[in-house]
Amino acid sequence: MGVEDLQIIMAESLKSALKEISENKDATIIANGTDMMPRIRDEGLKVEKILDISALDKELSYINVDSNLIRIGAMTTVSEIGSSNVFNGSLNAFYEVVSKFGGPQIRNRATIGGNICSATSSEDFIPLLMALDASVVLQSVNGKRTLKLNNFVIGKRSVNRRNDEIMVEVQFSKPGDDYLSGFEKIGRRNILIINLINMAIVMSLKQRRVNDVRIALNRVSGKVPGRARLTEGFLNGKEIDGNIISSAREKLAEELKLSSDFRASADYRIHLAQAILEKLLNRFREGV
Amino acid sequence: MSNILISVKVNGTEREVLVEPEDRLIDVLRDDFGLKSPKEGCGTGDCGLCTVIMDGKPILSCITPAFQARGREIVTLEGLNNDPLMKNIETSFRDHHAAQCGFCTPAMEIMGYDLLKKVKKPSKEEVKVAISGTLCRCTGYYDIIDSIYDVGGTE
Amino acid sequence: MSVSVESYITDLQKKAERGELLYIGKSLKRIDDLEKVLGSPIYTNDLIPRNTLYAKLVLSKYPHAWIRSLNVSAAASHPGVHLILTYMDVPGINESAAIVPDRPLFAHEKVRSTGDIIAAVVAEKEIRAMEARELVKVEYDPIKPVFDPIEAMGADAPKIHEGGNVAKHIRVAKGNIEAGFNDADIIVENTYRTQFQDAVSMETETAFAIPRDGRILIMGSMQSPHNTQASVAKVLGWPLENVEVIQAVTGGAFGPKSDETPGDVASIAALGALKTGKPVLMSMSRRESMIAHTKRHPSIIKHRTGVKSDGTLTASKVEIYLNGGAYASLGVLVIVRATFHANGPYEIPNVLNDGYKVYTNDTYAGSFRGFGAPQAIFAAESQMDEIARKLNMDPLDLRLMNMLRPGKRTSTGQLMDDSCGLPECVDAVVKSSDYRKKASEYSNQGGKLRRGIGIALLHHGNALGPEGNDYAYVHLSVDKKGRVHLGTGLTEYGTGAISGLAQIASSVLGVPVEYFVIDRPDTDRHKESGPTVASRVTAIGGNASRNAALKLRDRAIAVASKLLECPLSKVKIVDGYAFSEDNPEKMVSWDEIAREAHDASVDLNVIGYYMAPRCSWDDSTGLGSPYNQYTFGAAIAEVEVDIDTGLFKILNYHVAFDVGRAINPKNVIGQIYGGSVQGIGYGIMEELVHINGQVINPNLKDYYIPTSMDIPDKMTPIIVEKQGAMGIYGAKVIAEPPVVLPAPAIRNAILNATGGSVNDLPVTSEKVYKALKH
Repeated sequence: MGVEDLQIIMAESLKSALKEISENKDATIIANGTDMMPRIRDEGLKVEKILDISALDKELSYINVDSNLIRIGAMTTVSEIGSSNVFNGSLNAFYEVVSKFGGPQIRNRATIGGNICSATSSEDFIPLLMALDASVVLQSVNGKRTLKLNNFVIGKRSVNRRNDEIMVEVQFSKPGDDYLSGFEKIGRRNILIINLINMAIVMSLKQRRVNDVRIALNRVSGKVPGRARLTEGFLNGKEIDGNIISSAREKLAEELKLSSDFRASADYRIHLAQAILEKLLNRFREGV
Repeated sequence: MSNILISVKVNGTEREVLVEPEDRLIDVLRDDFGLKSPKEGCGTGDCGLCTVIMDGKPILSCITPAFQARGREIVTLEGLNNDPLMKNIETSFRDHHAAQCGFCTPAMEIMGYDLLKKVKKPSKEEVKVAISGTLCRCTGYYDIIDSIYDVGGTE
Repeated sequence: MSVSVESYITDLQKKAERGELLYIGKSLKRIDDLEKVLGSPIYTNDLIPRNTLYAKLVLSKYPHAWIRSLNVSAAASHPGVHLILTYMDVPGINESAAIVPDRPLFAHEKVRSTGDIIAAVVAEKEIRAMEARELVKVEYDPIKPVFDPIEAMGADAPKIHEGGNVAKHIRVAKGNIEAGFNDADIIVENTYRTQFQDAVSMETETAFAIPRDGRILIMGSMQSPHNTQASVAKVLGWPLENVEVIQAVTGGAFGPKSDETPGDVASIAALGALKTGKPVLMSMSRRESMIAHTKRHPSIIKHRTGVKSDGTLTASKVEIYLNGGAYASLGVLVIVRATFHANGPYEIPNVLNDGYKVYTNDTYAGSFRGFGAPQAIFAAESQMDEIARKLNMDPLDLRLMNMLRPGKRTSTGQLMDDSCGLPECVDAVVKSSDYRKKASEYSNQGGKLRRGIGIALLHHGNALGPEGNDYAYVHLSVDKKGRVHLGTGLTEYGTGAISGLAQIASSVLGVPVEYFVIDRPDTDRHKESGPTVASRVTAIGGNASRNAALKLRDRAIAVASKLLECPLSKVKIVDGYAFSEDNPEKMVSWDEIAREAHDASVDLNVIGYYMAPRCSWDDSTGLGSPYNQYTFGAAIAEVEVDIDTGLFKILNYHVAFDVGRAINPKNVIGQIYGGSVQGIGYGIMEELVHINGQVINPNLKDYYIPTSMDIPDKMTPIIVEKQGAMGIYGAKVIAEPPVVLPAPAIRNAILNATGGSVNDLPVTSEKVYKALKH
């Protein structure tokens, strides 16, 4: 019968949201709707029941630093991340994600929780959070559980959320001061793009050698985001120079299994990923 | 189908309105409140022309469900037309011929207003970034950028 | 005090010496933008009555199929639905084509593209109509489709229409092409391809209709209200005069709103309104618009050029195949302009151009800013750089050697008179960009980032030429308060051109433009003035506006001479004051003149008319002088390319146009900025992708137009003025030409930077990367 039967459940608090989702397991959760609304309106996505958690911004919009753990509430908007000073220094890549994320108006509404749960290759925060080995916190009336992000995002538009859970937080250990981070995104224009490829790297260098490197892309295999483990393994312990960079580029090409579409060919996507890798490694080598 | 009664403050006035589940904020503003400055250029959140201010921040009313406006405060260009800063922006748009077809103008002015509220004298680069989520097909942006830039620092 | 009065009078006397050029060439503010900056309700969708119903389209699922059955009953019983319209509901002729009667309003029996309209659902809310259209059941028997225009011309290609797949063929033939190739030292052959571009006017096509006692009122977004009136009357089977069409303020147009889609939306709204007795709005969603309206034709353009080793062009043979999609639209005229301009702005003694507009099963293409010139000039100007490369010559020198100048002839044999300002345009951009220095700097670069500089030139035949009778009417009417109401069947859709008509009338009258009010174009009130296309408002409408103002001025002077008690020949009107040359201290204001005219029963309502001289074109010889005058332009783009990835940015863009005379220079610059950025989009990012006849990216998420972050940091527009023979005060057209030059200039700059040739648009970084790898 289409969307005319659309039922909206509006949660005014986390407590009521958890109760509602436990009683309405078939409901689709929407945060601020920036991803979901166009899909319903323009792409014919059929939804019959919506649990609206937009009012949970009062409880779930925060960026907390507890000793070494950074905790970001699921309803924190992209703009709020951009205007926080928590990410100065080793987490600078957060600001790079923000500056290339949608447009300013979208940034005022898109949430980090929505970004993760939408789970598409165009969700810019996923690679960076994967590179940080982040975890998501899922809550139900029965309590909380914590799941590694790479175990949570399992495919295009597919996440490991039990149908009575709400994702409430993303958290990760703050990297040490010896770490650097970077993010690059390439599309067919400079902003408001569906990216052809993006990549986040978090890395520490000791005596010019790679001490720890984590590389994540929005696409590693098909359209699924993930880590470039082979390349990471190759780089660990090496001193970065021109030869190592070109070998790392080869490794990356080996492990990326990408697909072509009308936006770009798989080959070109891989080549761009290689170029981003080189650019970020060179940047880190210069200590920025 | 069950309609939803929401209260929302619009351009300074508390309003109550019955919305349908599928209604978007832009529908309520245009059809129920007669505020026509937010335009639908795409309906998918990709052009920025439906920009209004919600709780102090510019957002896209075409991808905001109407029920999510409950308890929020919305300001449209109509609500800013007497604001001295907005008046300066509007004058500057006219001086620069920055409104050609005019369809993106309200959104562009709101983005300029939002920037100038935060940054008294923005650079041209900052202006470009501020309007980067709002598409214009007539001007090539140059005259719009100059319009906003020139209001900076005038106070 | 007396000093300032004296100086004021001296000032007026001085201004009077400018005569009717009083306000010409001044960047006066537009008189139509106050409501725009205030966000006032002035556009079609802002103006609908409260009880309006909403219509939404059901489009074909197949690019080529027989319609086996059509069942609307489930949709018709959906809550809130009032009506489903199909071909059976058309009381008049089910036909919505502009020139060639090949396109039904509602598909009947057969669909030829996925843009074909099967039905329209009319409901109380837009969302109800959107839900219900999913319930319209259509069964199809697919027919083999064809998507490539050259393939479609083949003998065994599927027939899209009776009568074959070539909608139009035109030939330009000059000299002896074989002799020309025999004279050549080398021959350069290349094939160029261009893509579908969507106009993306920020407001989509929209109209509403209100039934009124045996008549119908249409208000909508369009370029040519009288064409919309004719479309609606045909569909309703009504006489023209029963259909009133008013153009609402229009949120961008760029050509598609002069083609067939405005007639579609108005006709559907009208049918719905008559059947329901209520106002009906048919407003296209972005998706509907991008699938169902006309776009810029994709093209395949084959160039074969003969050239002597010193760079002299001896022969140019060009074949243009425009993929027209399923219908002819105004595309049968687009191919004409493309073929006339196919060799670029050069004198070549031997020319043979064949242009074909071909039917395929893609969605249809038609009118769009530039009208065939962007495709033609991209190919021609790319070819010039390929020739220069073969000859190891600087591309600028090759152009200087062959380009049009006074005394030279175009490919159709038209003689260039003194108004050919191409050399001045080239000179201006070469200086502004410091071309010579940069070309030598960039000839020897190493490293990953390489810079390049590229040039492109154009000539652009003005106004309709062979496309139709080039005339216009302008109504001027003075009310008793002195306000001058300007009305015309020509329309404003963003350029400021109608404000420009007021500026011209104001200048002739000597009355400040602030006195002017622009009436909404209305078929009941304003005479048909031809379509608002081909950038013709200022050049052609300007003459009509002047003619109206001259009549009005005579009448106003008669009134003033009575009030001033002086002879007619002595009266001057400047800045809204009339005075006698002999006694300038005695003045009467325009307000007083208007009041006196009103009281004394002097009619201050006039209509000005202008028709351009006929142009010559002979289909049998392939020669003629198809345009009364030409605009000329030159652009230089500077780019920086990352040769590892092919990613590039445009650093500078210098562009000069010979506009004859800039009536309002600020508006001219506005057209150059906006057209150039639309042309940059065409050149490097825009592409409406069709796969098997389906539009893959009919949305602004995946169809990229330039944002504020994509424009060159510096754009330098330059105005050159070499007055033309036809346009008002020598003005030439400017709305279209700017969109033409960026694609070839950028493409040539990338070639200069990298040695890689990209011969198909858009020039994406991936194509640059692949061109580098060879």
